[in-house]
Amino acid sequence: MATSEALLRLRYRLLPDRLFGELLTKSWIDNVIPALALVVTILVMIWIVPGYLTVANLTDLARQVSEFGLIALALTIVILSGGIDLSVGSMFALCVLAALVSMNVLGLPVGVALVATLATGLACGLLNGVLIGYLRLRAFITTLVTLVIYRALYDIIFPRLASAIVGSMPVSPTWDLIGFGSFYGLPVSFVIFAIIAVGVHIVLSRLRPGWRLRAVGGARRSAYNAGINVKLTVCLAYVASGLLTAIAAFLFSARLGSTGADTGIGLEISVLTAVVLGGVSLGGGRGSVGNAVIGSILVLILTSGLIRLSMPGSVNQLILGLVLIAAVLFDAKWVKNRGKLLSKVYVSPTYLKLPNLTPPTGTDVLAVNDRLGAAELIGLGAVEGPEDVVLDRDDNLYTGTRHGTIVRFLAPDYARSEVFARIGGHPLGLAFAPNGDLLTCVGGMGVYRVSPDGKVAKVTDETNRSLLSVIDDSRLRLPDDLDIAPDGRIFFSEATIRYEMSEWAVDALEGRGNGRLICHDPRTGSTRTMLRGLIFPNGVTICRDGQSLLFAETWACRISRYWFDGPDKGKHEIFRDNLPGYPDNLNRGSDGTYWVALLGTRTKTFDLAMRKPGFRRRMAKRIAADEWLFPNINRGCVLRVSETGEIVDALWDEAGENHPSITSTCEHKGWLYLGGVSNNRIGRVRIAGADPQWTAHDDYWGKR
Amino acid sequence: MAGLGAFVRRLFSADDAGISVPAMDGVFKPDNRLEEAERLLLLPAIDNLVSSPAGLLCSSGKTLFQLDSGGASVSTVAIAEFAAPISFVASALDGSLAVGIEGEGVRIGQPGASKRIDLPGDMASCLTAGVFAADGSLYVCVGSRKHPARDWKRDLIEGGSSGMVLAIDPANGSHRELAAGLAFPNGAVMLGNGHLAVSESWRHRVVVIDPKSPHKVAILEDLPAYPSRLSPASGGGFWMALFAPRRQLFELVLREDDYRREMMATIDPAEWIGPELAGSARPDQPLSQGSVRQMGVLKPWAPSRSYGLVARCYDSGLPRESWHSRADGGMHGITSVCEHDGRVYAASRGSGTLLRLPGATSGGSPA
Repeated sequence: MATSEALLRLRYRLLPDRLFGELLTKSWIDNVIPALALVVTILVMIWIVPGYLTVANLTDLARQVSEFGLIALALTIVILSGGIDLSVGSMFALCVLAALVSMNVLGLPVGVALVATLATGLACGLLNGVLIGYLRLRAFITTLVTLVIYRALYDIIFPRLASAIVGSMPVSPTWDLIGFGSFYGLPVSFVIFAIIAVGVHIVLSRLRPGWRLRAVGGARRSAYNAGINVKLTVCLAYVASGLLTAIAAFLFSARLGSTGADTGIGLEISVLTAVVLGGVSLGGGRGSVGNAVIGSILVLILTSGLIRLSMPGSVNQLILGLVLIAAVLFDAKWVKNRGKLLSKVYVSPTYLKLPNLTPPTGTDVLAVNDRLGAAELIGLGAVEGPEDVVLDRDDNLYTGTRHGTIVRFLAPDYARSEVFARIGGHPLGLAFAPNGDLLTCVGGMGVYRVSPDGKVAKVTDETNRSLLSVIDDSRLRLPDDLDIAPDGRIFFSEATIRYEMSEWAVDALEGRGNGRLICHDPRTGSTRTMLRGLIFPNGVTICRDGQSLLFAETWACRISRYWFDGPDKGKHEIFRDNLPGYPDNLNRGSDGTYWVALLGTRTKTFDLAMRKPGFRRRMAKRIAADEWLFPNINRGCVLRVSETGEIVDALWDEAGENHPSITSTCEHKGWLYLGGVSNNRIGRVRIAGADPQWTAHDDYWGKR
Repeated sequence: MAGLGAFVRRLFSADDAGISVPAMDGVFKPDNRLEEAERLLLLPAIDNLVSSPAGLLCSSGKTLFQLDSGGASVSTVAIAEFAAPISFVASALDGSLAVGIEGEGVRIGQPGASKRIDLPGDMASCLTAGVFAADGSLYVCVGSRKHPARDWKRDLIEGGSSGMVLAIDPANGSHRELAAGLAFPNGAVMLGNGHLAVSESWRHRVVVIDPKSPHKVAILEDLPAYPSRLSPASGGGFWMALFAPRRQLFELVLREDDYRREMMATIDPAEWIGPELAGSARPDQPLSQGSVRQMGVLKPWAPSRSYGLVARCYDSGLPRESWHSRADGGMHGITSVCEHDGRVYAASRGSGTLLRLPGATSGGSPA
């Protein structure tokens, strides 16, 4: 038994299962499989084709990639917009014709020839764009028709000019440079392609037109509702396609200097294969320049390799067709199942053994009592989700609500309330700065400051990104509680970096140290992570020595102490473990004690489940979230802990009607105020024998 | 590498298939009628209700009571006291009673003048239900041969299927086995055609046994809750008490052998994951995420561990109507329903309450 537990613990320490899920959340994961396919194909080619890695061969491949890749980019843009362009092959042929007529027949300068070629591409693309974008014709049928029309035009014009094109050779060094020149060993055409590809990548991934294009392709109606000019965006996608095809045609003309009757025939199928193989989704909205480039190289290597293996052309086409079908099939399945796969593997529980708990006996300090049963209720039904409660110097009571507001209850009877500030996220931890500003941790947003007149300002919403974290942990996801050090530094906890506010319960299922302790220094404006790998760090309170702080680690049922200053700076030790429940907020109390709110009590069944990660993982997969086993958070209580971590008192609500789960406490002038994150009321009880003048404000900052 | 292999296997294995339990839907669409039913009497551990020629009887712990509901209030008269808790009561047409006593077996006869039927020891401790046939023979359900009646939860978590149905001849005290290998038979009723219907709790179904042949046929399957005792309904068909809800979490635990074994070995049964007869406010009780009190309210659809449910079925087994007390209610753990003098009574063992069902009219045509 002990050995198997030790093995289990080791297995969960050494094998980072969670990485599979985190990798799947990355957007670049779409490129990984095509990239792997490319590497495998290259290795196979090197193996079966002798002399594959020669300079001549690679240069030739680079030149082909420049032309082919540009057309792939053209098609990628159109597919991203949610359409398809089958006319690229015919368009390419027409543009080649335009370039060669300009250069060979009319003898125009290279610049003019380029403009003429681009104009041809523009005209062809614009026709497609207007028909599809503005007249709302189907992309597939429209470009199929223009494919035929452009091809027909080519077939009419080409025979009349064929001899003239072949008959004369242009004398232009620039033209020759584009066709045959090289730049530090790289073909010039490839350099041109690389520059264009980088430019298109920046436009697609970083600039507004690219985002609009993806939005239109991903969800046309939503894009329209968001105010995007859908018709124009679609039209421009086809225009861009025409222009990129024209550039490809120009490079092709410069390289070959002639054309034939079959130029561009079947090109659309190989380009389509390349684009889909590279990972651009035919459904629209998903894909990148990287996908197009990977796909192009893959298809060119495949076809050239097949030619070198002296396969007949028809077999070549057959193989390409099969590859296309396989790629489309894979794309469809991948898009459909990626989310499912992610939800299957993202939740990754780990081994967490809590010390054994002996149940309290009759006279034990932890035995259930009813001292909160007579709590006076404040704001019943007027607040929803008062996670933390705090009082100001004038005895007014403040709390955050799940509606994204901070509500103030006015002293002395707290019968009247008003919205003190609107924040927009659920305010969790609250603390007063010595100047009267209210600081709050807002779930899903960050740390905010509210001035006494109710003005809201952001303090921080990011910290330094960890070097080795797969998911981006620079953004604050779930800041939970904060406290202010004597020098004004703000220390706050972030409960988990893997889940959003609404999914905090899933973190309980994982039981891993997903949280951290962060410090914001208002003097420098910097935010730095102090401790990582904490198990749902929750309440934070500065100790009276001004050099250390206590923080609760909820799922580990313990309170830890961390020294941020003084001789022990950086020390981190357990202050009190094996608590009978799950600690939430920590607050100072009178007589040098601390109040610990327990949001729920431990159950043996959940403790056992925490030692069985496989059980929890299967639970997460097999049954609905509402049915998941949970600690008993319908039964919370308040503990009073001495300066040395000894539990000196416990207060329970025996019936559990008013305060089933308690997430925070605040002692103020002899009363204890109670909050609960899933409650709709605040409670207060008199603390027997407490100093009626004691306030946390005075304890922190001295009497005024 | 082994880890990767396990990972890939895990992705494709059927171990990850979702677990579902039948939804409370159709005839079982939830209402609040059991919660709103007339509460006649508080009687701790009230269990088996039975209609006899002498009146309505009920068992509670070691005592057998007669209930007098004639007047405005209901009064109880203790008519018999036994050495161990009563596990079932059945009444014959002539007024003689059969009483199951935990650990002792069955006693048959008029109250005060009963004789004990000898049963093998492992059959005597968990007699969950009994019914007299028209010819005077007695059919008795043995829920489990491994655990006494009060340890029903252990039998469930162990996946028990050692239950059986016995036919007892009251005249000479002989018994024979009618069916075996049942997963906690927990209720029995005679159908109009002379066949015996038996509820099988852990398999969430009702089976019909022909006393003359060894075959048993399931007439009602995939119940959304664990069925308990059955009783005849006037006008045909039968009443069925369902004592606790099925939940996805329970079904998961039943499939998780490793967790289940360790839970049974190291944790007190009162704190186990599993169905209960009543809700508990104790802090050590397991909880499902959906049962967390939100804004001071426990939602009626919360996946609670206890529930109150009574159903009326046709002779064919088809359910016809149902009465509910939901997660936010208290009339949970219904172990017995009984029709007496044209009124329908239910015993909520969880809350120790005797209920009279509203709107439950006798009669009606069978399907």
